[in-house]
Formats: sequence, C-alpha cells, structure tokens
Amino acid sequence: MKTAVFVVGPDRPGIIAAVTRSLFEQGCNLEDVSQTVLQGQFVGIFVVAVPAGAAGEALGRALRERLDPLGLSVHLREVAAGAPPPAAAERYVITTVGPDRPGLVAGISGLLAEFGANITNLKAIARGRREGTEYVTYYEVDLPGAADGSAFRSALRARAAELGLDVNIQHREIFEQVHRV
Amino acid sequence: MLTEREILSTLEMLRSENLDVRTVTLGVSLFDCVSDDPGRFIERVRAKIGRLAGDFVDVCEEVGQRYGIPIVNKRLSVSPVAAAAGGFSAEQMVAIAEGLDEIAGRLRCDFLGGFSALVEKGFARGDRALIEAIPEALARTSRLCSSVNVASTAAGINMDAVALMGRTVRAAAGRTADRDGIGCAKLVVFANIPQDVPFMAGAYLGVGEPDAVVNVGVSGPGVVRKAIDRARAADPGLDLGALSEIIKRTAFKVTRVGELIGRRVAARLDVPFGVADLSLAPTPNPGDSVGEIFRSLGLESIGAPGSTAVLAMLNDAVKKGGIFASSHVGGLSGAFIPVSEDLSIAEAARTGRLSLEKLEALTSVCSVGLDMVAIPGDTSAETIGAIIADEMAIGVVNSKSTAARLIPVPGKKAGDRVSFGGLLGDATIMPVPGGGSGGFVALGGRIPAPVHSFKN
Repeated sequence: MKTAVFVVGPDRPGIIAAVTRSLFEQGCNLEDVSQTVLQGQFVGIFVVAVPAGAAGEALGRALRERLDPLGLSVHLREVAAGAPPPAAAERYVITTVGPDRPGLVAGISGLLAEFGANITNLKAIARGRREGTEYVTYYEVDLPGAADGSAFRSALRARAAELGLDVNIQHREIFEQVHRV
Repeated sequence: MLTEREILSTLEMLRSENLDVRTVTLGVSLFDCVSDDPGRFIERVRAKIGRLAGDFVDVCEEVGQRYGIPIVNKRLSVSPVAAAAGGFSAEQMVAIAEGLDEIAGRLRCDFLGGFSALVEKGFARGDRALIEAIPEALARTSRLCSSVNVASTAAGINMDAVALMGRTVRAAAGRTADRDGIGCAKLVVFANIPQDVPFMAGAYLGVGEPDAVVNVGVSGPGVVRKAIDRARAADPGLDLGALSEIIKRTAFKVTRVGELIGRRVAARLDVPFGVADLSLAPTPNPGDSVGEIFRSLGLESIGAPGSTAVLAMLNDAVKKGGIFASSHVGGLSGAFIPVSEDLSIAEAARTGRLSLEKLEALTSVCSVGLDMVAIPGDTSAETIGAIIADEMAIGVVNSKSTAARLIPVPGKKAGDRVSFGGLLGDATIMPVPGGGSGGFVALGGRIPAPVHSFKN
C-alpha cells in the first residue's frame, strides 16, 4: 500500500528532517518527494510505501505529534500502487505576458481544460505586484495526441487576446534543443 | 523542469527577434531521369519529385506549426541540369526550365534551384546549351534559379566562362527589362560552389549527394542583433571579445532550432537530413537585417571604416557557434550581405556610405560575394565580366565560396531606385568605378590554380 503525505505551512529549517524522521520511525520507505516554497509558504508531497499491516491512523498521529508544534498541517491519502502510463501527448510550453489583473490564470487554464490539456508545471515568473504591471506566467502542458493542435493554438491566442495578454506557444523540444547540450 | 532564465531567453528570441527557418530545401537527384527526349525527361522528373515531395510543403507547414517556428520558404534543388540533361539544345533547355518551374509551382514550392552548370575547367556540350538558355529560361519562369560555377581553388578561373557570364547577365537583364532585370536576381556566378547550399540562387544538388536530401537554412540576424543590444545595455563595458562570445552563443541557439526542424521534416519525408546552413540571411523586413548588426557594434553604417573587421568577427563567431550546435553544417554558413535584401545595407548603398569597392573587400571575409547588387543598365558585358573575375579571384585564392549576383538594371543609372519585391527587396543602383577592362577580359583562357591549391 502507498500513501501520499501532504505537509503545508510556514517555511522554516527542519521541516523535511521532522517529516522523514517520523516516516522512518513508522517503517515507511520514501519513494518520491517534492517540495515548493512560495512567498514563505512550504508545501511538500511525500509518497511512501507503508509496511504491510501498519495502520494509516498511526502514521498520521505520529506525523501530527511532530509537526503541530511547528505550525504545519498534515493530510494523508492512499494512492493506487502503479502510476498510470502516460498517454501520447505533445508537450508545449505556453508563456503569457501582460498587465496583471484578476482572472488571467483562470481564463487560460479554463481553455486548456476544454482541450483536455494537462498542466504539468505552472509558474508565475514576473509577478505584477500592482494592477497593470507586467505579469509573466508559464505553463508546461501535455496536449493529448488526438487534439487538434492548430485549433488549440488559435483558441489559445483568441483567449489571450480577450485577457489582454501576449501569448507564446512553443513545443518543448525547441527549449531543450536551445538550452541543453 | 525548465528554468526561468531558459524560458525568458527563448521567449525573447522567438517573440520579437524574427527567428525563423529561412528555408527547408529538398534536394532531388535527376540522374535517373535522363532521357534523349526532353518531354520524357521532364515527365520522369515530375514523377520522381511528385513521389518524393508530393506533400513536402504540407509537411513543412505542419512541422513549422507544431514547433511554432515558421518555415519561410520551401524549396527544391536538383542535379545540375547541364549534366543531367547534357544532350539537349538551348531551346530544349528552355523547355526543361519551364517544366521544372511548373513542377515547383504545382507543389507550391517557392523556388527551384539547379538550372546550373559547373565549368571551372571547361565546357561540356550541355554546359554551353544551358548557359545559352539562361536568359530566356529566367524570363519565362518565376521560380527557377540558375547558378554557374566558373572557378575553383583547384582549377583556377575559367576566364572564357567569366566573359560568357558577363554577356549572359546582360542578356538576362535585357530579357526581363520590363521588370527591372529581375532575371538577374535569380542568376548567380560562383567560385567554389558548395554541393549542398539550401539558399538561392546557388542551390543545386551536387553529384556526391544522396538521391534525395533535406538541407535547412537558418536565419536570425535579428536575433543576433538583439542579443548584442541587450548585452550592451546590461553592461556597456563589454569589449569585442565578449561580444563575439555573445554572437557565438546566439548562433548556436539559432542553429539548434534550425537543425531540429530540418531533421523532423526529413524524417517525415523519409529522406536523409543533409546539413544546416547557418548563414545569417537578412530579409527586407525591419529588424531582420545584417547591416543593423554593424550599427549595434559601434559603426554608423555598414561601409564605414571598420566594416571589414566587424564582418570578419561576425562571420567567424557565427561559424563557431553553429559548428558546435550541429555535426553537419554546410552550404555557405556565414553572414550574407545582399544589398537589396537588407534594409540597412540598401540604405548604406543609397547614401553612398557603402561603395562597390568596399562591398568587394567585405566579400573577402564573409561567406557570399557581391550579392543582389543593382548596377547601371549601361554597364558593359566586359565590365560585368571583370567584376565577376575580381570576385572569383577572392574566392579562389582564399579557398572559400564566393559569388556574384549583379543586376544591370535596363534603362536606369546610378542613384535610381529599383524594386524587385518580396524577399528580393528594393535597392538604389550603385555606381561602377570607371576604367575599361575589355582588353583583359577578351584574353580568355584559364587563370591557373593558385600555388596553395596543391595540398596533396
């Protein structure tokens, strides 16, 4: 059985040490981990193999005992054993640039969802702190192989225009060719 | 995961700097189409090119769209027609030219190159017929391009061919006098012509090449210029060593993109990928100029003292970046300085900052020659031949490709404007320095190969 452990809260030194110590004490093997810090907030995902017969509640309890004092929330979720094989997809990098206003990411991601495109990475690079200043967002996207690439591009351009954004759609291979030897 | 720096720099390169693939050129050998009947020859060529390239333009557009990199031109190059159709007369050669033009048109290709002859050491029968046919062939076609190699480092300069090409250039201008001599814009005289150039008008498929091959020509003078401008804005103290490094890195990126596109098209057509030609090829569009790079490097204009040194550095940096980017570079691979096709160079010619003599000096350190140079319509065939001979000498002695694409514009004189349209652009006619050359050109024969050609 595998469990995904989600840890959220203000960033500080020692979070990973505390989480992994608890996992180790509970006999779990850490299979996969990723963490992000955004504006001082820590989010970590830990996928662990739980030993046969171990109770999920015990793991949750052990983690909370250690992490509550640090101001961190913990959430556990069982996950299926094997990740589904990736479907055939074209990988794109989409960058939008324009004045900041509410609803930009909602507008673009809504369109991506309509086309069945999966966002595999999303980041705001330049963050327009004030209304009207430049806001640059980039999305890494898997577009299903069956989707109509040309309709996707034109719909995305139209949506970006509605939102007052410049949009650039690039195949990921172009980035890799240019930047990686 | 991509880094922010990677994303922003690539975004800039594609968003505002005119990075495109200038041309994907499909080379097709015609040697298995040989026939004793011109009609049958063209029929076989049509069948072969149709089989190999029926969906060539669609594939290019699809690949360009998939990667978001426009492929500006889709072109065909064929075996030198003078060799593949060597048994025909000049009239039959014209018919073949029309047939090739029609094939290119039907496939929606922008140009077809290879109406060509290689005569650096002498003429075969087909060579003479083809050269005789050039003026008429160029007048009756719109997509066909012609090239004649009259010199090489190993053979020297065939001065009989040089003199003949002087007359042919004038005749080609005369046959298209109603269109400012545009026939000459599709005719180039070469020394050391490479066998795999994807650019026009010199593209043809060499004898040592595969049956079919995709060669790609990248572009990107705007990308180079912006990279220099950005670097200098960020650090005004950068010297020429640092700036050449920036040009080199930029050329690397541009070449990587071009090769990726070329390889994808080749794979889709199931033909081998040949070379990336990493030339800086300008267009008459603002921001897509080689001449502007000179200004970014501190010169008031191309043609000012210092221009030859700047071009030498630029050409070398482009080659170094490109060679690291791709194992298979070829063609001309350097900076182009076509006068009418580059806004900034055309402007320098108009104001007199750039003279024909300075242009000739520039050609000794870049990858092309006197390219798209409009000259007075009354320039004699002997003078044109002599200008060609000077240009050929630069290529032969320096073991490099060089070329002359001169347009003596009928009925116009130095200072007059001329417009060819599209990628060929507009230009002001440049004065040709005085002094007769007729006696020299009339001597004929062959200028021997230079001493340093004997490397065996």
